[in-house]
Amino acid sequence: MTARPITTVKTIVTGIEEAGAGTKLFTLADPDQWELPPFKPGAHIDLHLPNGLVRTYSLCNEPADNARYVIAVKREAEGRGGSRALHDDVRVGEVIGVSLPRGGLEAGADIARCVFVAGGIGVTPFLSMALHLARTKQADFKLHLIVREEVPLAAQLGPLIKEGRVVVHRTSRTGRPDLAALVGEGGSATMVACCGPEGMIDDFERVTAAWPAANVHIERFIAAAPVLDPDAQPFTLSLSRTGTEIQVRAGQTMLAALQEGGIDIATSCCGGICGACKVGWLEGKPVHRDRILSPYERERYLMACVAGSDADRLVLDL
Amino acid sequence: MLDTTIGAGSAQGATQLGWTGVVRFLHFTPRAFLPMRAAEAIALVAGRGIEGDRYMIGNEEGFYSHKPEEGRQVTLFELETLVALKRDAGIELGPEEHRRNVTVEGVPLNHLVGRRFWLGETLLEATRLSVPCRHIEEITGKAIFDPLINRSGLNCRILQGGIVRVGDTVRNAA
Repeated sequence: MTARPITTVKTIVTGIEEAGAGTKLFTLADPDQWELPPFKPGAHIDLHLPNGLVRTYSLCNEPADNARYVIAVKREAEGRGGSRALHDDVRVGEVIGVSLPRGGLEAGADIARCVFVAGGIGVTPFLSMALHLARTKQADFKLHLIVREEVPLAAQLGPLIKEGRVVVHRTSRTGRPDLAALVGEGGSATMVACCGPEGMIDDFERVTAAWPAANVHIERFIAAAPVLDPDAQPFTLSLSRTGTEIQVRAGQTMLAALQEGGIDIATSCCGGICGACKVGWLEGKPVHRDRILSPYERERYLMACVAGSDADRLVLDL
Repeated sequence: MLDTTIGAGSAQGATQLGWTGVVRFLHFTPRAFLPMRAAEAIALVAGRGIEGDRYMIGNEEGFYSHKPEEGRQVTLFELETLVALKRDAGIELGPEEHRRNVTVEGVPLNHLVGRRFWLGETLLEATRLSVPCRHIEEITGKAIFDPLINRSGLNCRILQGGIVRVGDTVRNAA
């Protein structure tokens, strides 16, 4: 059996449009226009690009618009290749797998006012939030967009600029605005958020240092490193029948490492109860976290979906 | 929605075989990860699955399609479990979120493995209990793995196809 579980949402590119400042808007939808998995305003998705790259982008449409995911991508000539691949190679009709949306902002019931500060293309998550708040009237909001000159997504932001909900600050004309003045006084009923270059985020962190932590949100262009269990250790799986060695990264499941290494392991619950991924072990010191194996069985078997290793090397009967 | 649905009258007419249930919700989806869509009626095809559903044999695009299983042509879930989840764990789970196709009330699903029963005009054979899975936790963002152990629904093979509608009776075929 060589088939693998489906791990991404299947979408097709249904629209690509120029959006100013070297930016393109890509619309992704289900092939049959079925609703897509729900998301919070400004949530992120990972795009599994046809060339094998996986890149994360903020959704900039609003959650009620549930039949499509819209992302804005600025072409970075000197970037790591994701934006170039999207701009130069991806066409309408292309199939792209995406992850389930994660993260995003949600103004709680106690929030009466939101202030968003965006630098350039960092406006994308806040466009989603602004559209959401404008429709639901859940909270008053203002979006400060700091650009050198050209406004990205000008067509999408236009109505909000006219309404005064979005204020554009052009640094080429007026210099950089004072962030403290933009966010104003903190308070439990105010939420502030920032997305943009690192320098801007550092300044934003300084001016909001005294604010309640729950009311301050920061979105970075580069995803933060995943939070790992501080006790998690990498280890090596040795497969006795083939001599293959597979590294399990700290925080990675044994099952994921095996599958990544091209080993076909059956799975079902991924929580240590169904037994589908039960494998024999021959040497080492497994950490059993399943809930079905007896002490006797644990001397011979482990569940790859939840088991770990208490030693550097674990030999499996595979 | 559950509060108004539960107890609306179904399991009252216990037969000599011990139970009679009713179909409360029907759901399907064409591909892995996509939201389940509610329907007033679904078409069950003998030996294959539900028309338009991800696990219709020959057209499988579900999360578990890498291990095809003909005993998983249609899946059932107890409405009572959704009520218990809210009551005991404080988790509100909608009938579209457990990702089984048919939510029934008044049917002892865990006792039907290996048995045949009528779902409306269709005849099913229960093949095995469903197990909870991390995949659904990932989709819903709700910690439902542990609360659903031993009450995660039933997988069935379709012996006689037909249309199943909300409100249809579920009864033992023994």
